[in-house]
Amino acid sequence: MMYITVNGEQKSTQADPMTPLARVLREEFFLTGTKVACGEGFCGSCLVLLDDRPVMSCLVPIGLARDRSVRTVESLAPDDRPLSPLQQAMEEHDAVQCGMCFPGILMMLTHLFEKDDAPSEADIRAALVGNVCRCTGYARIVEAALSVSGRPQSDNNR
Amino acid sequence: MSSPVIGSNLPRRDARDKLRGRTRYTSDSGRLGMLHAALCRAAVSAARIVRVDVSKARRMPGVRAIVTSQDAPGRYGIAVEDHPLFAADEVRFNGEPVAAVAADTLEQARAAADAVVVELEPLPALLSMAEALAPGAREIHSGWRDYEVLVEGGERAGNVAWEATVVRGHAESAFARDDVTVVESEFRSGRQNQAPLEPRGCVASYEDGRFVIETSTQVPWAVRSTTARLLGVSPSDVRVTVPAVGGGFGLKFEAALEPFAALLARASGRPVRLVNSRQDEMQTALCRENAEIRLRSAVTQDGSIVAREAVVLMDCGAYGGEQPFLTTMTAHTLGGNYRLGSVRLVSRAIYTNTAPTGAFRACNGTYCTFALERHTDEICAAIGMDPLEFRRRNVIGDQDIGSTGQVFEGDVLRPMLDRMARLRQCHPPREGRTGGRLYGRATVVGTWFIFVGPSAATVNLNPDGGVTLVTSGVEIGSGSTVQALPQLVANALGLRPEDVVVRAADTDSAGYDVGVGGGRTTVSLGVASTLACAEVKKKLLDLAADMLEASPEDLVLENGCISIAGVPSPRLTIAQVAEHAQAVTGPISGNGSFTGSGAAAMPGCASGHMIEALDLPVFAVHDCEVAVDPRTGHVDVLSYRVVQDVGRAINPRAIHNQIQGGVVQGLGYALHEEISIGVDGRIRQQGFEMYRLPLAQDSVTVQAELHEGAPSMGPLGAKGAGEVPILNVAAAVSCAVANATGKRVQEIPLTPPRVLEMLTDFRQPPNLNHIGRSWRDNVLADPDALLVKAGI
Repeated sequence: MMYITVNGEQKSTQADPMTPLARVLREEFFLTGTKVACGEGFCGSCLVLLDDRPVMSCLVPIGLARDRSVRTVESLAPDDRPLSPLQQAMEEHDAVQCGMCFPGILMMLTHLFEKDDAPSEADIRAALVGNVCRCTGYARIVEAALSVSGRPQSDNNR
Repeated sequence: MSSPVIGSNLPRRDARDKLRGRTRYTSDSGRLGMLHAALCRAAVSAARIVRVDVSKARRMPGVRAIVTSQDAPGRYGIAVEDHPLFAADEVRFNGEPVAAVAADTLEQARAAADAVVVELEPLPALLSMAEALAPGAREIHSGWRDYEVLVEGGERAGNVAWEATVVRGHAESAFARDDVTVVESEFRSGRQNQAPLEPRGCVASYEDGRFVIETSTQVPWAVRSTTARLLGVSPSDVRVTVPAVGGGFGLKFEAALEPFAALLARASGRPVRLVNSRQDEMQTALCRENAEIRLRSAVTQDGSIVAREAVVLMDCGAYGGEQPFLTTMTAHTLGGNYRLGSVRLVSRAIYTNTAPTGAFRACNGTYCTFALERHTDEICAAIGMDPLEFRRRNVIGDQDIGSTGQVFEGDVLRPMLDRMARLRQCHPPREGRTGGRLYGRATVVGTWFIFVGPSAATVNLNPDGGVTLVTSGVEIGSGSTVQALPQLVANALGLRPEDVVVRAADTDSAGYDVGVGGGRTTVSLGVASTLACAEVKKKLLDLAADMLEASPEDLVLENGCISIAGVPSPRLTIAQVAEHAQAVTGPISGNGSFTGSGAAAMPGCASGHMIEALDLPVFAVHDCEVAVDPRTGHVDVLSYRVVQDVGRAINPRAIHNQIQGGVVQGLGYALHEEISIGVDGRIRQQGFEMYRLPLAQDSVTVQAELHEGAPSMGPLGAKGAGEVPILNVAAAVSCAVANATGKRVQEIPLTPPRVLEMLTDFRQPPNLNHIGRSWRDNVLADPDALLVKAGI
């Protein structure tokens, strides 16, 4: 039996320690917000924060998450609480299309904003280097993220 | 009278759940007692099957059912039924399914699939179109003559799965004129994987003697009919439902895994889940086909194109699939942009021992536009005319005819070019060009169409005054079913979009629909929905007229209320009338249906075409600035501009999002998404490590203008806007790279190694020796008979 804190709640699992974290999140804890679009760490749809650091949960064995803390997209606006400022910006910019990439992108950007509350456009694009979006062409995702950045809009170093 | 709901930037109703991670896609589905399935795939590209032995696999732990070709003897196809569910006597591509297994866990299913014994006798594999068309090449389908043909008219022989030709005017004599310059160009384009983030997958069960399939598809009705055909059951024994789909781009425009899961569900009596891994998707996606193209034009010194001929080879892979249909598109993507004095085109789908190709956003159009626009720039260079001026003089305008003799309506492309010219003037090339890079720019045109076709809609007026829209429309991410459709319905009935419930696709509840793709949702489902609303409105007003003691013609319906024109009160809410209807007539509902008008071509011009003339053409003008690094071959896109013909913008912001996304997908196609096939017939790019999709740092922000007012049969004059944005991108980029480097760009994608070879003159031009020198050598049909048929 392993213990793991998921979105602030202590959970236990008996999964084989080599089971990917993404699979435990989705199939045992029913946190299907985390997607597995490639299963090889190249698309970022499974990105979650493990002890506040971004990881591709399809590649992290659950054994390495033992006694650690995981945050998934479901943590951003739990229960019936309102959307986080970042989620709200994505909605207001009509950024969403199919939606599969957003859970990972939101967690990556959440991490970025926790490190730096005023990232530039270049910072945002660089942060998303491991997140594939096939629908949107990224422009609105970047615009939405910039709109919640504390950086003056004219001060983009791209 | 138009209401502000049309042209408004209505947000998506599905955005919040998608942002919260709550949306449930097919790949998130689970059911009690569900089994997991895996496919056993052939690991060679061509072989005779000696024996398939599942006895060992059947005894593996957890295995509940195994099915093979004996369980699904049927074949399917769009024009020719050449495709079995499982390889039966012969393996024709690496990755072709041989058996399917359902087990308690996915690992058990995969282990059992690996334990299926497949004894094979190798055959020579034909991996390229050059090999497949070589004299004496083995026939990949030796039984092609016996296949059932569903659509007549295409020539077929040997490895030519389908041939479509266009002949208008006497091209040979025009080429022989002594006052023309003849320009000849050859091109090659690669495959492109659609790569939606949600792979193809489904959950099937067998309930009360019927197959119930939840699936990630764009075409619920095609899944229904294909599954029924392959399983030998009645289509009404198959029910297909579709939750939110995580992207499609054409990959999900054919049935895929559903028949396997359905067979296993019946065999096991349990729900069965079958979802492709990314590796499965890379190996078996119905990629945009690779193509090889020769174009030849005769042009006068003043820039009139007096003759054009083209040979277009499209690699359909091991089975025909969509390609016999897509050969049709050459007539319009190569022949619907410029006025042509005479024309002859041949477009051929070629069988090879590779994974079947299929539909991908602006299918056929992306590479034909690439070839045509590069050819157009070569013509301009040959006769010394400015490329923009040449286009302005020659683009199709009102009452001009396309290649098949179709008469086009309205001046659309020319004013769009003028608009782009103004945009270009407003944004002169940036200052400060340093670093030894080569700079170039190009403006290109493209013609595409809306794939109209049958659609049905029902609108139910609910007692609370809201309505439910019931269609087979699927939300694949484009937003049509959560933005344009509820906007159109709300507008027609004086409601707010939030009063319109949109029912998710279920073939048991909604009428037939071709599917979501080809830019058709807003047009075909839009018209059907609007007509259904008209019936609801008539019933509403008839009842309200009784209640208000007025004539129905004197009533107005707006803001959820009905009143007498010019008289503010009395007025009734729609809910009051709907409530009254319950007592008087019973609930109110309306039905609408739509299909294309069947635009006319000139008789005899087109042979083997499933669409001889475009019901609803769509045009686009793109402009691109690039910088090429001569040391690395890297192409940087500095700016990108689009003027797109949208008819009328129902939701401008949503259209801009489609343009941005489509252009970036096109940049991937033009620059770095590359599929290559190894000597074993296996696709080398087995995941996103090798297959380079556009990332945030690659993408440029597109400046787009929506061109409104072109004629359209769409609702309120709208045209589909989601498919066309990718059409011109490879053309714009490759013309700009040619402009920057002074080199003859003949191949895409323009990966850095390819560009570097081109810059250093190490790149050999594409070897298209398998395309005969004379156009006549490339047609199965008798060229003289084609002339007679066209009345020449």
